[in-house]
Amino acid sequence: MSATPLWRRYLRFWGSDPGADVDDEFAFHVETRVDELVAQGFSPKAAREEALRGFGDIQQVKAICRTLAEERERTMQRTQWWADWRHDLRFALRQLIVSPVLTAVLMITIALGIGATVAIFSVLNAVLLRPLPWADSDRLVFVYETWRQFRQGSASVGHFHDWTEQGDVFEHTAALTRATFNLSDGEPERISGVRVTPGYFRALQIPPVLGAYFSEADVARDARLVVLGDGLWRRRFAGDPSIVGRTIRLNGQAHTVVGIAPPETNLTRLAPEVLAPLVFSPQQRANYGAHSFTVIAKLKAGVSRNAAQADMERVTRGIAQREPKNMEGRGVNVRSYSDVMFGDFRTPLYVVLGSVIFVLLIGCVNVANLLLARATTRRREIAIRSAIGGGRWRIVRQLLTESVVLALAGGIAGVGLAYLGIRLFVSFGPRTVPRLHNAGLQPEVLLFALGITLLTGLVFGLAPALRAARENLLMSLRDGSRSSLRASGRDTLRGVLVVGEIAVAVVLLVGAGLFIRSAWRLQQVPLGFDVRGVLSARLALPPERYAVDDSVADAYRRILEQTRAVPGIQRAGASTGIPLMGGGPDASVQIEGQPFSPGSAVSPAIRLITEDYVEAIGMVLVRGRAMTAADMAVGAPPVVVINERLASLAWPGEDPIGKRLSTWTREADKPEWREVVGVVGDVRSFGPDTPPRPELFLPYTQAPVMAWNAFQRSMAIVVRSADDPAVHASSLRAALRAIDSSLPLYDVATMREALGAEAAGTRFITGLLTLLAAAGLVLAAVGIYGVIAYFVTQRTPEIGLRLALGATPRSVLVMVVRHGAVLAVIGIAIGLIAALAATRAVATLLFEISATDPPTYAAGAAALFSIALLACAVPAFRAVRVSPMQSLAEP
Amino acid sequence: MEKELLHGTLEVLILKTLSWGPMHGFGIGRWIEQLSGNELRIEEGSLYPALYRIEKKGWVEASWGVSDNQRRAKYYRLTTEGRRQLHKNADTWSNFAHAVARVLGAKQQPAS
Repeated sequence: MSATPLWRRYLRFWGSDPGADVDDEFAFHVETRVDELVAQGFSPKAAREEALRGFGDIQQVKAICRTLAEERERTMQRTQWWADWRHDLRFALRQLIVSPVLTAVLMITIALGIGATVAIFSVLNAVLLRPLPWADSDRLVFVYETWRQFRQGSASVGHFHDWTEQGDVFEHTAALTRATFNLSDGEPERISGVRVTPGYFRALQIPPVLGAYFSEADVARDARLVVLGDGLWRRRFAGDPSIVGRTIRLNGQAHTVVGIAPPETNLTRLAPEVLAPLVFSPQQRANYGAHSFTVIAKLKAGVSRNAAQADMERVTRGIAQREPKNMEGRGVNVRSYSDVMFGDFRTPLYVVLGSVIFVLLIGCVNVANLLLARATTRRREIAIRSAIGGGRWRIVRQLLTESVVLALAGGIAGVGLAYLGIRLFVSFGPRTVPRLHNAGLQPEVLLFALGITLLTGLVFGLAPALRAARENLLMSLRDGSRSSLRASGRDTLRGVLVVGEIAVAVVLLVGAGLFIRSAWRLQQVPLGFDVRGVLSARLALPPERYAVDDSVADAYRRILEQTRAVPGIQRAGASTGIPLMGGGPDASVQIEGQPFSPGSAVSPAIRLITEDYVEAIGMVLVRGRAMTAADMAVGAPPVVVINERLASLAWPGEDPIGKRLSTWTREADKPEWREVVGVVGDVRSFGPDTPPRPELFLPYTQAPVMAWNAFQRSMAIVVRSADDPAVHASSLRAALRAIDSSLPLYDVATMREALGAEAAGTRFITGLLTLLAAAGLVLAAVGIYGVIAYFVTQRTPEIGLRLALGATPRSVLVMVVRHGAVLAVIGIAIGLIAALAATRAVATLLFEISATDPPTYAAGAAALFSIALLACAVPAFRAVRVSPMQSLAEP
Repeated sequence: MEKELLHGTLEVLILKTLSWGPMHGFGIGRWIEQLSGNELRIEEGSLYPALYRIEKKGWVEASWGVSDNQRRAKYYRLTTEGRRQLHKNADTWSNFAHAVARVLGAKQQPAS
């Protein structure tokens, strides 16, 4: 037998062909036999017949053989593939072990990038993507009353009732309102809770931990029922199951515990620990004017939000025809539950995820650059591999396997880092983010981690792999290692990568810059009061023991007297509503001499205040005077203090002092005129990013009983001290104990703390983005440093020669730095354009700053350019110090 | 002797012929016939499927070469695994053949 002829190899160029092989083999057999028989004297025809006889049905035999050959071929391919893969894997691991320092650097970069990305994704997954715990939660909606531009107003009982009775689209509806309870079994404690109509539990379909929920029938028999939250039950009653059926004292009255609710029964941001029945009297059902209830509903199956909106508009139009007086400017708004609860977090979280992916991308570029540098040192190895028959695709595959193995190693470490990161988020993230505590390494998060890891491996591995496959084989083999490094265009690819990462870093910098500027602007906004040295604490008087309005006012008067006696406290006052600590009820205001209609009247927030309150909180008196002790005296003339916003709405362009208005009258349609004695500056009660609203302040002694009911007989005590106000919390408690030892003090916080909590979300996002931008900046600097250092290494002989021939060090410096500067400028230019597009996504999150704010863009560009120059300077100075002799003597 | 041989037997015979060196299908058939003193006529319809079967099992491997009559022919060659199988099956087969021969050549009725 001789060797396979050359032409035969070409026949198999596109892989083997079992069918043709079988045909050829059988043809050979038949022809050889025919020759033999003809030699024995057969006629060619008879010879052929004889030769074929042995095959029987030759087509069938061929088919059998072909099938066997094809099966064999497939098995071999599979075996080959696995063998190759195992080989690639072994080889990749060996490569990683051979250069441990490089491997460590690469792994850390990847691990940090993937860890951060996975941690952020886990938060986003927990807050936005994970399904809600309730069956058919996509059918839950909020139904709001709207008033002019306010789209999410509370509803009146009348509205709730009519929506429920006359609407066709809801399976269940529920009204709820926030309520707080003094729990007085044992140590008195203020418990935050809600009052809900029984439909609430039917809409949720979550079984109680113990006992039952209350139904309409239960409530009709006895309204003093209560469902305890799981947390309160464990904390206060040690998880004792016999609590069901027993009574506990809430607000001084015995309530029967009917059941224990799991944490998932919380539908709002209130985190109630007590759920008590909400019962409406027939009079309340006819009330369309007082808007204080949140309405939650569950759509019937198959009903869209739009259909629900249309149906509610139909019902609301009917209300408007019956109650035109109360319905001016009012409408209805149906919004999906998840939009209301999580909508605010969607954009920020996706912005952070996008930013962290950008950082990961920059990290990938650095890794790719390092791999490219290593690929150059491995060019001989790769050239030999391809010379001995390693196909291009095999080599690409080998290098990609190395990258993916590297990425997987980094990814595994990254998931470990992500676990730590998630713990940090959960502990230090803002409390306002719902479901943040659920963040963890759920299966979908791990799947995301795997996906992003593989993608990362491909992204940073592709460039070096394709580069290696394109290598000029002969050049690499023939040349020495050094001269081949000088091949032209060698670092175009590296340059492109660095330009890319600079561009991405610019986008990050500009984005973070915008957030920093926005946060700074927010801090500059005058709040209208002085947060320094102020402590506030709230208490509520139970109606059972403070039934008469005089007793309420009297209690607060005595508590303040006690408080003022505490050494170090300079001012002490109280108000039913203080800035940054929740809103308060509105009431329409009738202005003397102006036509009045309840629907269109000015509706300021109403606060009952004591003397000294304006001074204690540090509001600015603009005109007239603040409240004095004389205004609080029994029989004092009715007065009011208003804020500038209300002044400009009620008496535009006029001096309001001495003018009169009426609000919260004892009888409807019978004004009780109060004289405006002072105007105070506007206060940003809902934080710096919310414009001030009209407010009015009444002496607390002049409030009608219904006002105290609306405020739940609750006031916030505000004290101002020269020293750290936090130390006075205990003196406040002592003062309270002297008056009534059963009353708990709650919401104790300095104004600074309150402001911090209010800004926590924005600050958190800003901090994260700043961190990510800094990481991007450092990584980009490392990237550009790497390229320039490499450039210098390449040119060391050339630089040495130039210096030897009399070039000044300065000119060498300029040459090197210019190389980096060109890359930086191109990258920055592309980055600025990309930032213009990308920052549109964050425009709505910014406060009083445009997403195209030129100074921010300029600062971002400048920061990157300086860092880039700095990164170039190090290798540049090294280049200048090159000794001509040494560089030329180098092999 | 039956002209149709059991699959396994044919495979062993092929392995045996190939133990002398690579050969094409035609030659293998011819060798077996000659060695058996022309007692065994190997039908091509059995020979080739058997060859492809043992090739798939990895006992032989094939490559294309040029035959003595200057034609392109597919030559089969024994692999290491094939050699191992030959030894194993040859022993089994000759034990079996001896046993059959002893039974057929028996002169005495066995004692019961």
